[in-house]
Amino acid sequence: MEINHITYSYDHKVNHLDDVSGKIDVGKVTTIIGPNGCGKSTLLGIMANNYVPLKGQIVMDGKSLITVKSKELAKKISVVHQHNSAPADMTVERLTSYGRLPYKSMFSSNKTTDKEVVEWAMEQTNLIDKRNKPINTLSGGERQRVWIAMTLAQQTPFLFLDEPTTYLDIYYQYEILELVKRLNKDQGLTIVMVLHDINQAIRYSDTIIVMKNGKIVTQGKPKEVITKSIIKKIYGVDVSVKEDEQAGLFTIPIGI
Amino acid sequence: MVQEKRVSYMNKKALSFIVVIVLLCIATIYSATSGSIQVSFTELVNGLISGTNNDVQVIKDLRLPRIIIAIFAGAALSVSGVLLQSVMRNPLAEPGIIGVSSGAGFMTMLMVSIFPTLFFFTPLFAFLGGALAFFLVYSFSWKSGLDPLRMILIGVAINAVFTSLSQTFHYRGSYTSSMVTEVTTSTLSMKKWADVEIMVIYGSIGLILAILVYSWCNYLALEDKTAKNLGLNVNVARFVISAIAVLLASVATATAGLFVFVGLLVPHIGRILVGTDHKWLIPFSSLLGALLILLSDTLGRTIIAPNEIPASIIMALIGGPFLIFLLRKSDRIYGN
Repeated sequence: MEINHITYSYDHKVNHLDDVSGKIDVGKVTTIIGPNGCGKSTLLGIMANNYVPLKGQIVMDGKSLITVKSKELAKKISVVHQHNSAPADMTVERLTSYGRLPYKSMFSSNKTTDKEVVEWAMEQTNLIDKRNKPINTLSGGERQRVWIAMTLAQQTPFLFLDEPTTYLDIYYQYEILELVKRLNKDQGLTIVMVLHDINQAIRYSDTIIVMKNGKIVTQGKPKEVITKSIIKKIYGVDVSVKEDEQAGLFTIPIGI
Repeated sequence: MVQEKRVSYMNKKALSFIVVIVLLCIATIYSATSGSIQVSFTELVNGLISGTNNDVQVIKDLRLPRIIIAIFAGAALSVSGVLLQSVMRNPLAEPGIIGVSSGAGFMTMLMVSIFPTLFFFTPLFAFLGGALAFFLVYSFSWKSGLDPLRMILIGVAINAVFTSLSQTFHYRGSYTSSMVTEVTTSTLSMKKWADVEIMVIYGSIGLILAILVYSWCNYLALEDKTAKNLGLNVNVARFVISAIAVLLASVATATAGLFVFVGLLVPHIGRILVGTDHKWLIPFSSLLGALLILLSDTLGRTIIAPNEIPASIIMALIGGPFLIFLLRKSDRIYGN
């Protein structure tokens, strides 16, 4: 997937994305990081075709994204949003089954396949026991897994996640990230996510895209991208970047 | 444990359906046999078949049409409420409150007064008026998304404008002052089989379409972005569902008059009893709405017979306190 010279503005005054170009490697985990308001979620939204860019295009399988029909696109790309809402009595299984929407048409649907895929999606996200529970009785981490299960039921090669760990405590954060990593390794999903935590980005990504003020500052492997000078430039924070045998590469803020 | 819970949930749903269907049958029979002319159920059936009983003939001409219209209008208004609430993702959206009904009422009155010969097209005028009101509410409250509060306030304003327009119109044409009541309330008396035809044909079309789009209503309960990423064409779904809602509300208003509140109360009770899945909520609301309006009308014409209290007044009288009771009792609104 290619990001070609994307320019986007919410209000036609300030460009929230300014001539952004980059590349998403198929079969890898790519993480977008950057300070608040730098345009990372906007870029993800454009890659999911939720916003139409003013200039430029996203190219997937040789086709511009905006030319792809919404149902066809929903078979290619699935998205876990930062804010989600559903009626309180929505059960895990029912919400997961919503992921089969792109495969349904007014008159026909393959019920057996749908059922199998929903089963598989709940299995992958470890929700089989909770299938009949209303989602408002679940913990934050479980609820996030249900939204992931729904996107898995879409059976897409691309999975986008917008700050999937934001409202979770540390255990559930890592549970989600381990799940994402497993989906990438075992199911071969191409993952693109937005994260806030630099150390999580280092640990779970093949590629990191660093953004600031609507532009991509740099893109590359964690070791190449996460340096003292780049973090200072992006966040204005002094960090110490260390490497440890057990922890691998990590950063610790030491002042501003 | 989980399985048990699910079973009890299914039972509650099935039980709710059975109870409402049984009550609706009883209410229909009671309504047909009581009032200023009273006959027994067997007399009624025999009379309808043979056509020789004079009392039954009067009932057939005067009472049956209003029973059928009450049933269909109740169903139409309740389902219209369910649909509008799903499109606007707002439990307060209701054809009476946001002006769809008063828009339909005003347009009908206006056109029929100017072109009395076009009486046959009443449902069309009603639809145009309802659609105009809905369009105004929707477009004024849209600002990169629908803010629930702004939408209701604008709806109340639009409703006020159309209601006053109707009233102005009536006061001006004082020779029809007896019709003034029909603007603000609803009397189901003096309904003919021609009215039944209109109500049943358009009402059935609307109800069938509503059931066909139940899954769209379900997807719209998610965030717009989520629904879009699932491959739903959110704008088309909203447009189609709204059109069906306006059709239902308009035809009910055109034949049965203005009923506020049904579209608010019935879906609320429906969500408590059968849940938020529109596959069940739409059919259930249509049954419950039919029951409520039929009961209101029957009470209205039997309590102080031979005088009548309009069904909409009875409806509001019972519905208001009941809604407050429900809201006090449950901590959830629209299942959130």
